[in-house]
Amino acid sequence: MSKLLIVEDDDALREQLEIGLAAQGFEIFVAATGTDAIPAFEMNKPDLILLDLMLPGKNGIEICNEIRKTSGVPIIILTARTEDSDMIRGLEAGADDYITKPYNFDILLLKIKARLRPFEAKLTEHPIIKIGPVEMDTLSHEVRKGEKKISLTPLEFKLLLTLASKPNEVFTRESLLEQVWEYTYKADTRLVNVHVQRLRSKIEDDQENPKLVLTVRGWGYKAGPE
Amino acid sequence: MGLSRLVKAALDLFRSSLQIRALVYIVALTGTALVVLGGALSITIGNGLFSTRTEHTLLESARAKSQVDRLFSEYAGYSTWELNQGIATVVPELEQTGVSQSRSVAFINASTLPNAEELASPRSAGVQLNLITKDFRQLVQQSDEIQSQTIQIQLNGETVPAVLTGQRVELPGGYDYELYLIYDMKNEQQSLLFVQWTLFFGGFISLAIIGLSTYLVTNWLVKPVQRVAEASELLAGGDLSRRLPVRGTDVVAVLANSFNHMAESLQEKMTDLGRLSNIQQRFVSDVSHELRTPLTTMRLSADFLNSEKENLPENTRRTVEILQGQVDRFDRLLSDLLEISRYDAADVVPDFETHDMNGIVGRALESIQQFADSKGVRLETDIPSGEILCDVDPRRIDRILNNLLTNAIEHSEGKPIKIRVAQNEKAVAVSVTDQGVGMNEIELMQVFNRFWRADPSRKRTTGGTGLGLAIAYSDAQAHEGLLEVTAQPQRGACFRLTVPKIQGFTNIVSPLPLAVEN
Repeated sequence: MSKLLIVEDDDALREQLEIGLAAQGFEIFVAATGTDAIPAFEMNKPDLILLDLMLPGKNGIEICNEIRKTSGVPIIILTARTEDSDMIRGLEAGADDYITKPYNFDILLLKIKARLRPFEAKLTEHPIIKIGPVEMDTLSHEVRKGEKKISLTPLEFKLLLTLASKPNEVFTRESLLEQVWEYTYKADTRLVNVHVQRLRSKIEDDQENPKLVLTVRGWGYKAGPE
Repeated sequence: MGLSRLVKAALDLFRSSLQIRALVYIVALTGTALVVLGGALSITIGNGLFSTRTEHTLLESARAKSQVDRLFSEYAGYSTWELNQGIATVVPELEQTGVSQSRSVAFINASTLPNAEELASPRSAGVQLNLITKDFRQLVQQSDEIQSQTIQIQLNGETVPAVLTGQRVELPGGYDYELYLIYDMKNEQQSLLFVQWTLFFGGFISLAIIGLSTYLVTNWLVKPVQRVAEASELLAGGDLSRRLPVRGTDVVAVLANSFNHMAESLQEKMTDLGRLSNIQQRFVSDVSHELRTPLTTMRLSADFLNSEKENLPENTRRTVEILQGQVDRFDRLLSDLLEISRYDAADVVPDFETHDMNGIVGRALESIQQFADSKGVRLETDIPSGEILCDVDPRRIDRILNNLLTNAIEHSEGKPIKIRVAQNEKAVAVSVTDQGVGMNEIELMQVFNRFWRADPSRKRTTGGTGLGLAIAYSDAQAHEGLLEVTAQPQRGACFRLTVPKIQGFTNIVSPLPLAVEN
């Protein structure tokens, strides 16, 4: 039974989420304020966090940043603010996905399930996949660049692995959404853009001049030459 | 042709410039006054000069007569030969003794006595006898007085006015003679000419000075007015911060002051209006935001009820369905309202990325296919093969296409819909043409208005919000592109979206026609 932490200040919404999700068999923990979020996360060790952005005490972006320092736990941002900048800032702070109020329960469930699905890399003869100076261990999910260990969230790991497993093949944003996020319906391709940016900031020497994850103009992305 | 253009340009300048008009009027008036004054002066001075000269000549002529009389008083009883001796001295004598610088003499024998032809008629060199007319000689012969006449003579090749005097002289022995004296008025003529030139130049210079000072003074008067006019133009053009410098307390300063007051209150009013409009936009935006959280809860509640509907009695189940549908509709309305309020607040920054327009259109068609099938509408495409790369915000383009396609399917009356894509050097266009109910001209003008529906009695099958086309129009504008429409009643409508391939391309021409199907 997966554990979910819901951080939402609106009582009615939080309760309805709790009822709905509990009925789906999740174990639910809640936090009503920003200040309660981190202690609740540390105490309950949830498998996924639903995080409102506008919270009293501490806002969602700060919480996201703080959690990402110690954990790669999937985070889905819940936001009433459709202003793109807030959503993008949330993703940049390390959230895996977002959902805009008012959302549909089925879609929320789909997103939660996609993030909770255990990630199994197809076993190859070599468990180590290399992309430039970066080595990925598909068994231990460890990533190294030379001697330095790089910590990627599971989603970032999956994104890099998808790209690196077929070097020099171009992936459209839509196909990445399908393969990495496991969304078969129309989703926001900016998710891909932001995560590629985050990934680059972790693995590239020069983020402005990427060598490992390359943009193919008008098309999508590909992993750079080995 | 060149001249008439020049005249036209001058007339235009005359009409458009207050200053030029004032200048022309003043110069014309003073010019006329100067000409009249100069003419009068010239005539008076000329008359004075000539009448003085004429008086002098009469006195001189009288003196000359007594000189001749004195000369011949000693010749009483002399022979004609001896008389001729005396006659010969008359001309040189009179030429020398004249007070005037030059006078010519003619001493003409007019005697009818038997031996009179023996006497000579001497005259100064250069004196033509035809200068002395018959009429004048008759006048002299019949009078004891000195007669005078103004004539023209040739002097050193030029024509000069002169005074001719004539009088009778009786020589000893009863011979009748006529003494003619010609006084040229070369000096007087020159003086008059000099005076006239002086007057002319003086007048000309005065006119120039008057013109210049008029220009300077009018300039000084007109400039502030011109500044007010310029500032008013700028103010009318929207530059509400325009103010005029106020100097002194004269009428111009009053004008500048009242202009500044006007601009000030205008600016205040505009700021007030802008603030009100901002408040309103903020309000719409805030309301939309605030409604989102309760709407989410309602939606989740409805979803939950829906998932449990198997266990509900029939009426309650239907109620849950209705609730679900209305929450959906509320949701769409709210998102559209929020989108519009963002456009109103100019808070939209499209995310431009290089995309393949054919790909975007293809995906839009894919996602609408089910709806088209449900309406039995065939979607026909005319899309060029290959990629059409352009800088667009794919979500906005997709939203526009979805709107156009949904609209077309709704109004198509089951007839096929044509989707075309085309490109040229600078632009890419997508058109959606249906052959359905179409629109009349009045409807056509309102089609992009908010909450406008072509036919209010029409059944709302898709539950559109009435904001779709208004948002699509703004979306196209956000791309520096255009969303256009044409339609004919009962023949269908054609919507055409044209966007530049690269942001910053201007003067784009749509590669597709805007026309309903034949």
